[in-house]
Amino acid sequence: MACADDAYFSVRDARTQLKDGVYLLDANVVYRFSDAAMEALQNGIPLVLEIQIKVGRQRAWLWTDTVAALSQRHRLQFHALSDRYVAHNLNTDQRQSFAALDDALYALGAVRGFPMLDQRLLEAGADYQVRVRAALVVEELPTPMRLWAYASEQWRLDSAWYTWRLQP
Amino acid sequence: MKRYGRGIWPMLALFVLLLVSLSFMSDATHNSEQFGRLYSLLLLTNALGLVVLLGLIGMNLYWLLVQYRRRAAGARLTSRLVLMFVVLAVVPVSVVYYFSLQFLQRGIDSWFNVQIEASLEDAIELSQSAFDVRLRDMLHLTKGLAGELTEVPSAVAPLSLYDLRVRSGAIELTLLGANGRIIASSGAEATDIIPDRPADAVLLQARQGQAYVGLDPVGDELRVRAVVQVPTGGPSAEPRILQALYSVPERLNEKADRVQDAFARYKELAYLRVPLKHSYTLTLSLVLLLSLLSAVWGAFYAARRLVAPIRDLAEGTRAVADGDYSQQLPVTGHDELSFLVQSFNVMTRRLAYTRDEADRSQQQVEGQRTYLAALLANISSGVISLAPDLRVRMVNDAAAQILGLGSEECAEAALETLARQHHSLQPLVDTVLEQQRQETAQWTAEITLFGNRGRQVLICRATTLPGDDVHPGGLVLVLDDITALIQAQRDAAWGEVARRLAHEIKNPLTPIQLSAERLRRKFLDRMAPEDAEILDRSTHTIVQQVETMKEMVNAFSEYARAPQIQLQVLDLNRLVREVLDLYRGGRGERGRPAIAAELDPAAPRVEADAGRLRQLLHNLVKNAQEATADSAEAHIRVATRVIDSADEQPYVELSVQDNGPGFSAEMLAKLFEPYVTTKPKGTGLGLAIVKKIVEEHGGIIQAENAPEGGALICIRLRPTGPASHSHGPGA
Repeated sequence: MACADDAYFSVRDARTQLKDGVYLLDANVVYRFSDAAMEALQNGIPLVLEIQIKVGRQRAWLWTDTVAALSQRHRLQFHALSDRYVAHNLNTDQRQSFAALDDALYALGAVRGFPMLDQRLLEAGADYQVRVRAALVVEELPTPMRLWAYASEQWRLDSAWYTWRLQP
Repeated sequence: MKRYGRGIWPMLALFVLLLVSLSFMSDATHNSEQFGRLYSLLLLTNALGLVVLLGLIGMNLYWLLVQYRRRAAGARLTSRLVLMFVVLAVVPVSVVYYFSLQFLQRGIDSWFNVQIEASLEDAIELSQSAFDVRLRDMLHLTKGLAGELTEVPSAVAPLSLYDLRVRSGAIELTLLGANGRIIASSGAEATDIIPDRPADAVLLQARQGQAYVGLDPVGDELRVRAVVQVPTGGPSAEPRILQALYSVPERLNEKADRVQDAFARYKELAYLRVPLKHSYTLTLSLVLLLSLLSAVWGAFYAARRLVAPIRDLAEGTRAVADGDYSQQLPVTGHDELSFLVQSFNVMTRRLAYTRDEADRSQQQVEGQRTYLAALLANISSGVISLAPDLRVRMVNDAAAQILGLGSEECAEAALETLARQHHSLQPLVDTVLEQQRQETAQWTAEITLFGNRGRQVLICRATTLPGDDVHPGGLVLVLDDITALIQAQRDAAWGEVARRLAHEIKNPLTPIQLSAERLRRKFLDRMAPEDAEILDRSTHTIVQQVETMKEMVNAFSEYARAPQIQLQVLDLNRLVREVLDLYRGGRGERGRPAIAAELDPAAPRVEADAGRLRQLLHNLVKNAQEATADSAEAHIRVATRVIDSADEQPYVELSVQDNGPGFSAEMLAKLFEPYVTTKPKGTGLGLAIVKKIVEEHGGIIQAENAPEGGALICIRLRPTGPASHSHGPGA
């Protein structure tokens, strides 16, 4: 079990590949929960993990123009009867169960072929920036926990933005 | 600043808004789906609302503090009321808060029970045990199915899988290669085109020859997943893995679901116990804060509403005390305070009316006084108003001029004090006192003053003013300076007498004299000596008597004539010496008295007519000589001296004294009147002329009997000479 000090979310690597006119995202995210998050999970509190993706067009003298902003959310919950962790993809409504939490987190961290953007939305030759990060969604916690979660370091679980360039 | 946070309606709206928001928040804490999403927003809204409320109260407090420091009317009362209201609100609300908190803590704690928790855990374990038997059965069944697939080549596996699935009652059978690749699959649900792959860890476990069986929660239902290695037909054969998915009977599934739900719910609640308590406490505290702050604001509002009319009244009263009667306070409502305000308004209106009336009366009085002052200033008669104790109330300009006083020194001075400062006023004061003693209500007196401006004859008319309790009355003196008038009248009268004498007497005298002389010249030589002697004696007598009569008429004319006096500054002593030198010639002769001169060398020069003064001296010396003609040791003393007075100009006194018989009492009374004489040959005009000359010079003359015997005539003259305007030459 991870300690609070070790708790971190991190986007290890990420890339896009063009397939059939759609940019697909592959990313590897490391999820390490804090003690508080772990305890909550063990007590049956569902945790929502979100991968935020932003595609922006870089302009010479102006701020980056956001072309697309999308997210992928998973709800992770412990199922006591089966003693398994159930990951529920809120975008696709697919469920998967795992015997161990590490397996579940590994599976959630391995993003493969997530359809990100239609190629037609991008202008050829322009300079784009793709940013990805992972975070625990505090707003999805049960109401009584929310205020304390906002105030607590243990619940501030989000990764830095992972950024790379995209030139269609 | 004054208007902010004062209106009742905005405050009421804010209060209701916050209350609604708090009730939503309370619902949200209770895990309500509807408001759960808005929880953070509601919390923020409430916090902001409370901050606004706190700000308004802060402004009210600041306003009150400023008013208090300024000692504004009503500030103390407002503070006291606010304090009272706040205490009244805080105490019960705090008590309710404390007990609510206690109930809340205990109430939440009472939801949880060790027994329930143990029972639920037992239920889970029981369920798991119940499934374990089934799982083992399923694993056994799956292993049997795998055995049947040993000889089936991968190419025809789908057909075998279908048979096996129908036979075994599994939902899905999937044959996988060692690398996890799906070789064949058969599913009962046509919709599941993509078979459900086992997890990598499970595959790894199966490849190592360890069978896997477990419950797999898929959506709301449970499935049994069994993964086993398919026994290989030969050493060259590829190792394969079979996964079978079985459904759980619906009834079992439902029960298991309920147990899981209840357990999960209880577990979650138990975990959320502390945050829940905190959240409820927070909501309750916010409600408490809202109530308290609203109560405090309400206290300010109510106190201000209550105190406003009192403050207005206090300010109004202060204004009235400062003399501003224009205060009219706004009347609101129909309570006792409004009645008080109305009464105040009536009072100020009446006060203003009364003050205006008083002002008008005062203006009228002022007008009358100004009119009277103007009148008094412009009349030629002097007017002096005296209090009953003879203190001067008012002196008009004419009176001040007649008496030679400054208006300032007269103010509030007692008449006797004035007389001490100005000796010349003594006759006036004596007359007034005398009349006061006699209690004469109205009197008129002629008073002669001898002051800086010489001799003044005044007519003084006095009227006693009736007094009352408030104004004690007093005396009004009206003074008229009749010096010049008297002089003019006298001059005119004597002029007329002289003219008549000249006309009626002197004119016939010349023909009488001429006729007598003619009789004498014509008949004296021709007549007999005895007749001639009679004629001579008779005509001589006629001529002599006519001559005497002529002299008499001339002397009278001299007296009555209006002289043109030639004033010049001269040394009185020198003039006296010159005149007396004329009389020294006959010194030692029989019947000629010795004349002694006692002249004060300090005597100042006087402004006078030298000729007239000489005549005056001649007359006096002649009179003295004649008075002492029968005396053997006759002597005459002529003296000058300076008489100083503290406040007035010094004056020069010229006295002529003899040691004759003096004046009889009868004579003294009318000594200076014409034709009064004791001498057998006198015209009776000598002293009358002397007096006339003295008065022409603005001096006064006194005649008395000296204590050592003999007559004493004193003449007092002012060194600067007479005031020409009142003692100038007569018409």
